[in-house]
Amino acid sequence: MPLTIRLTISGRSYDAAEGVPRELQLGDGTTVDDALAELAGQLKNGSVLPDTCLVALGGAHLGTIAEHEPRSLRDGDELVIIAPVAGG
Amino acid sequence: MLTDDELQRYSRQIGPGVLSRQGQERLRESSVLVTRAGGMGGPAALALTTAGVGRIVLAHGGRMITPDLNRQILGSEATVGEFRAPHFADYLRSMNRYVEVEPLDHEPDDDEALEIAARVDAVLSCPPTFDERLRLSRAAVDTSTPLIDAAQWGMMGTLIVVDPSRTACLRCVYPQEPPFEELFPVVGAISAAIGSLAALEAIKILSGCGEPIFGKMLMYDGFRGRASQIDLRRDPQCPVCGDAR
Ligand SMILES: [Zn+2]
Repeated sequence: MPLTIRLTISGRSYDAAEGVPRELQLGDGTTVDDALAELAGQLKNGSVLPDTCLVALGGAHLGTIAEHEPRSLRDGDELVIIAPVAGG
Repeated sequence: MLTDDELQRYSRQIGPGVLSRQGQERLRESSVLVTRAGGMGGPAALALTTAGVGRIVLAHGGRMITPDLNRQILGSEATVGEFRAPHFADYLRSMNRYVEVEPLDHEPDDDEALEIAARVDAVLSCPPTFDERLRLSRAAVDTSTPLIDAAQWGMMGTLIVVDPSRTACLRCVYPQEPPFEELFPVVGAISAAIGSLAALEAIKILSGCGEPIFGKMLMYDGFRGRASQIDLRRDPQCPVCGDAR
């Protein structure tokens, strides 16, 4: 059964994430890695999100894009990706 | 003991849902390091001053420049070209006679960050580089001093509150130092909002009133008007705060 997740991308990524839908439709058994791969294909003009982006699922911090806990997605989950910011 | 004048000054923030009288007294006995005093650190330092924190160490090097004016509330057009820290300290003193302000005309290096963190009760970190943020986080962990890290970009900002040795430090969140740009975009309204929230976290920690968001990241994306809160994972292998250090 297909599932739908909500997507929040923030931080220094507005350009890359422009046009990315707020929701992603994915297949059953999809993992966070699958969703990140799907998302990478939707970024405009081949841009990429930095490996250092924070990844969180359902309000729980999983790590960074480069290194995070593996998780399966459930229908209605919110995946949050924040490109780190350091402005003072 | 608070004087009658102090009790009158703080009367609107003592009571149910705000500070207890003991909390206000604890605030007066407390000290905070704020570095740097820019778009976030400035409003944060002002909020701490008007709330009645006893001592503020304010670190910010250099002279004020015209592009500061879109977010700098401790300076004005008249102070462009002047050294920031001493002028900002004067302004803060003018806002509350009961607060001591110690200006520092530079950003602390590793040793100085450690020395200052050891003699304050909270570190409020608002620098424009990850290098400085990670340095302050190390100093906070090494001295068991609570850390509030406030950061922004454009119209969004993040707040991370660290209870050293118990919740994730900055290195747990940023295991590889992220890229950054020196001339980051910033709208003054978001930096003031995040700076004020950082001050509120410090006030709760220092007074013992309210519930600090230890172990969490609060993210407010003002561009899209969305807020998220994330429970941060502490890395037991973290070289800064981990079990094996
Ligand atoms: Zn850590």
